[in-house]
Amino acid sequence: MIVCSICQHDNLTGAMFCAECGASFADNHSLIEQLVDPEKNQSVSNKPSDDPFQKFSSGEPWGSLHLVDTGQIFPLSQRNEFTMGRISKGQSIRPDIDFSPYQGYDAGVSRMHAVIKRDGDRIILMDLGSSNGTYWNGMRLSPNVEQIIHHRDIVALGKMKIQIMVKN
Amino acid sequence: MPSRKPDYYEILGVFRDAPQADIKRAYLDSAQRLHPDRNVAPGETELFLEIQLAYEVLSNPKRRNLYDATLPPEIEESGVIKHEVSFSRTNLVQLDEPQLVYALLEVGPRDQKEKLPSAPLNICLILDRSTSMQGDKLDFVKATAIHLLRNLRQEDVLSVVAFSDRAEVIVPAALNLGKKKHEESIQMMQASGATEIYKGLQAGIKEIRRTLDPSRVNHIILLTDGQTYGDEKACLKLAEDAAAQHIGITAMGIGHEWNDIFLDALAGKTGGSSAYISKPSDIERLLTDKFKALAKSFADEVLLEYKRQEHIRINYGFRLQPEGGFIEVESPIHLGPILQDTALHILFEFLVSPQALDGDVLTLLDGSLKTSIVARPRPVPPVRLKLTLDIKQNPSKEEAPSRILNALSHLNLYRMQERAQAAAEADQFDTAARYLQNLATHLLSQGEHSLSKTALFEAKHLETKHAWSLAGHKDIKYSTRALLLSGDQEKAE
Repeated sequence: MIVCSICQHDNLTGAMFCAECGASFADNHSLIEQLVDPEKNQSVSNKPSDDPFQKFSSGEPWGSLHLVDTGQIFPLSQRNEFTMGRISKGQSIRPDIDFSPYQGYDAGVSRMHAVIKRDGDRIILMDLGSSNGTYWNGMRLSPNVEQIIHHRDIVALGKMKIQIMVKN
Repeated sequence: MPSRKPDYYEILGVFRDAPQADIKRAYLDSAQRLHPDRNVAPGETELFLEIQLAYEVLSNPKRRNLYDATLPPEIEESGVIKHEVSFSRTNLVQLDEPQLVYALLEVGPRDQKEKLPSAPLNICLILDRSTSMQGDKLDFVKATAIHLLRNLRQEDVLSVVAFSDRAEVIVPAALNLGKKKHEESIQMMQASGATEIYKGLQAGIKEIRRTLDPSRVNHIILLTDGQTYGDEKACLKLAEDAAAQHIGITAMGIGHEWNDIFLDALAGKTGGSSAYISKPSDIERLLTDKFKALAKSFADEVLLEYKRQEHIRINYGFRLQPEGGFIEVESPIHLGPILQDTALHILFEFLVSPQALDGDVLTLLDGSLKTSIVARPRPVPPVRLKLTLDIKQNPSKEEAPSRILNALSHLNLYRMQERAQAAAEADQFDTAARYLQNLATHLLSQGEHSLSKTALFEAKHLETKHAWSLAGHKDIKYSTRALLLSGDQEKAE
């Protein structure tokens, strides 16, 4: 028996791909490799952090955000909490992850839109009172209420769709 | 090929240890094709006489024994085709639970440099002219049929049958026909009536049989835009009969009303596939490509016959190239054609029960490959196909060969789509949506952005509306199928 490390599905011995989520058993590192590929990805982990969850952090990314429309990948590493939004000129609001280069304005992303954080094994998403709303698997979240989300869930900031990938 | 002493076994295309029944069957098959009353090509009467002689010797046990004594030792390899097998694991493991193992079978011409003349065609176009074809669809179909007819080579035969709830022959199967008149009959086709595929198929097979010839590529192309009702079983039976006469079937569905499962099964009976034409303007390109592929046929069919091994099941079989398609795994399996420039690639999934693991070596499959090669009137000797794996205590650390990994990773996407369809079929829409979301993730990581979006859209559609969108499922199915092919081409570079 092979238990899939991503979805815990039981697969027959000899299976090469998970019958449930399609993850490859041949190389379990594909996700991680993708996350740390410096060529393709923009790292958002440079900012010094005063994060209270710092003690859980390490240099390895614990997950990533995939923009569904453009395929852009944002690794999540070194910190446990990231604010998402867009930087606009002349404003001092600076979210950790800035979607302004990816048509964030057109997609209706607010300057401080939502926050994603890791708390132990749980991944939490919270809308920060955005104008166009934060959607989790199609459901609009109430502002400032924490929502536990999972690997491969689809989150939308306004019209900007993002898939959440979490490394177990 | 160098001339040498005639090998009667080779002439009949049977193994040396073939039982009398096989020899008789092989003789009857060949004799039917090459009988002086039937054959057309020069030299075929001589071949017929050779076969006659071979049968006389081999059917008589005494003469067969005497003849066997004079034979040189058997050459294991066929001179015409070659095959190669790779496994997902180098050995099986002693386990108390069922396990899976994958095998990739590649069959191609032995001598790839040899330039073969392009095979003459005997093609029947079976065209749906039911009411729903009215407009663009029928116009493009007509234009394409006329275009193909005009560009026909001297040696090719193209017949055209139109059907709705009845069938009529628009262009009869014949060499050297007056094209002008037939172009007009194609132009006159009018859309009306319902879709009864059986009627069309029956008339088409009748037509193609008029010019049936083993030295041609005999192939039916069915174009439809709708579902047929109640005659599916009869259609599948017809397809089986066609396969027995080496007539291949390709089924093309236009738009999104047609039943892809049924057309897959229908074409699959002959080793052919179904194709999806999303918009009428693609009809010409897809049909022309199909014609080109058929003219490049090296073998119009590879047949795998095998005996069931106890405690081993072939779970799944899929043709990766030349044309992606589902294959039925009951023996005999119609694997599909080999093209002059494209070998046949088949992937099998075997399920091995613990009871099978007794001994050091396990035979997964024991059978033979029979090939009918277009440019060769004489039967090709069958090739033995025996797939065996060692049984060991521990799994091997060795990685699977990259060719099988590549094949599996592309097939993985296609199978996720299949699982989503199966779940949706069983009214488990949330499960289906989950499969599609997973598929979207993988598509995304392979850079297939727009297909990924389609998958996400369909996932949502299934969740909220409990149904696929009109074109969605076919878009995903045939696009993931197309990825199989593009993946293989990359590998070849």
